[in-house]
Amino acid sequence: MKPGTKLYSATCNTEVMVIRCGENAAIECGGAPMSTSAVDTKTEPSGEHQNGTMVGKRYVDEAGTVELLCTKPGTGSLAMDGVAMGIKDAKPLPSSD
Amino acid sequence: MTQVMKGIRVLEVAQYTFVPAAGAILADWGADVIKIEHPTRGDNQRGFINLGGITTKPNRSPFVEHPNRGKRSVGVDISNPEGMEIIYEFAKTADVFLTNYLPHQRQRMKFDVEHIRAINPDIIYARGSAYGDKGPERNSGGFDGTAFWNRSGIAHAMTPEELEGPLSQGIPAFGDSIGAMNIAGGISAALFHRLRTGEATEVDVSLLSTAWWASGTTLDIALDYNEAPRNRMPTSGGNRGNALMGNYWTSDRGTINMCTLSPAPHIRSFFEHIDRPELADDERFATVEAFMQNWEAASEIIKSAFSMQPLNFWREKLKTYSGQWAPVQSMFEMMRDEQALANDMIFEVEAADGGDPIKLVRGPVQFDHTPVTTTRAPVMAEHTEIALMELGIEWDRIEELKQNGAIA
Repeated sequence: MKPGTKLYSATCNTEVMVIRCGENAAIECGGAPMSTSAVDTKTEPSGEHQNGTMVGKRYVDEAGTVELLCTKPGTGSLAMDGVAMGIKDAKPLPSSD
Repeated sequence: MTQVMKGIRVLEVAQYTFVPAAGAILADWGADVIKIEHPTRGDNQRGFINLGGITTKPNRSPFVEHPNRGKRSVGVDISNPEGMEIIYEFAKTADVFLTNYLPHQRQRMKFDVEHIRAINPDIIYARGSAYGDKGPERNSGGFDGTAFWNRSGIAHAMTPEELEGPLSQGIPAFGDSIGAMNIAGGISAALFHRLRTGEATEVDVSLLSTAWWASGTTLDIALDYNEAPRNRMPTSGGNRGNALMGNYWTSDRGTINMCTLSPAPHIRSFFEHIDRPELADDERFATVEAFMQNWEAASEIIKSAFSMQPLNFWREKLKTYSGQWAPVQSMFEMMRDEQALANDMIFEVEAADGGDPIKLVRGPVQFDHTPVTTTRAPVMAEHTEIALMELGIEWDRIEELKQNGAIA
């Protein structure tokens, strides 16, 4: 797995582009390993891995060794080695009018 | 929409609505707009917790879509010199540089016109500001609430003198959205000029100049006559000199706005529509001169007629009236207005949260009767890698720039 690689979910419509890859990280979506080619026969996202993905968002592991850019959203959620990945979100200055 | 700006690249270093919405208009028209955002904070527009008194929803931001649809977002820290080198790389490829950063910020971070022109002498350099790029306050920031609405005289003119304080703008980004179209128009003219002469110009639009132009009729009268029109307290009845001008209240407290500036050809039609056809031959109203002379009598008759029936009755009834009028509608009624929808005022973009598509308002200009087709606003820094790779920057370099915080 190298930067620019596209990964496909085996459980939903999620597709991601690898931006930063840790060593031998196992990337999962919906509880099942993601594939480097489109998956025809999909299973359902399972257990706690059903929180969905949002297009355009970046997903990172806690240590920041892996970063994935979601290019197509789905119902499964992303995990690395079984641990849910978080969203690298904008932290804008709070505003109110 | 016919892509009149296809092939034009806009490099936008701007935040909030006024200036980014100009980029959005150009993107609607087919331009490739690269939006530069701070690598961790993003555009401050993303930070609204409340807008117009409404609590915003995380991950669903129509107020980010309005000024940013159709763009790509690249996360660059412009205060980092290596980040600024990336801005220069983009500037080489751009036709337009669009910014609302203040002069001292542009100087400090070295992206003022002379810095960008040193990279690309043919670039059109467009600035949006609060008060203009000349004068003692060119370094002062502002929003439409300050520059467009309050300082400009608009709040004062909108507010009847009987009220204890000035009305507030009431519509978020009202001045910003109008001003954005002014910027987009200015950029279009600058592109046209460059095409004809090869000469690249600087373009300035301020929120204050936007307000002056929008209030131009009042200001021009005031400059010459030394008196200025000002709003009156809401009432049911005609305006001085023309009873077919003014708001009339209906039995259910709706309002019909009569706006027949030149009443002559419409007096008979109007009296027929309030079931008083005989009044068209009444000597008080039989000529336009008499009708305008006797405006108070006409106003009383019309006011009484409107007060007898509900708004919907008059909406139907007046459809065949030959003159100009309108019902006073809410924004919710406007959203369902058949005529507005027939002119493609609403289009949809994909929602980044995976929910229902987000409905957005198109810009005021339409080409060839075709609706807007564009994409959703980018997520912050969504396109950093792809846009940098398009510039020919290698992945290893992208990683380095990330490591030192120049990009996100």
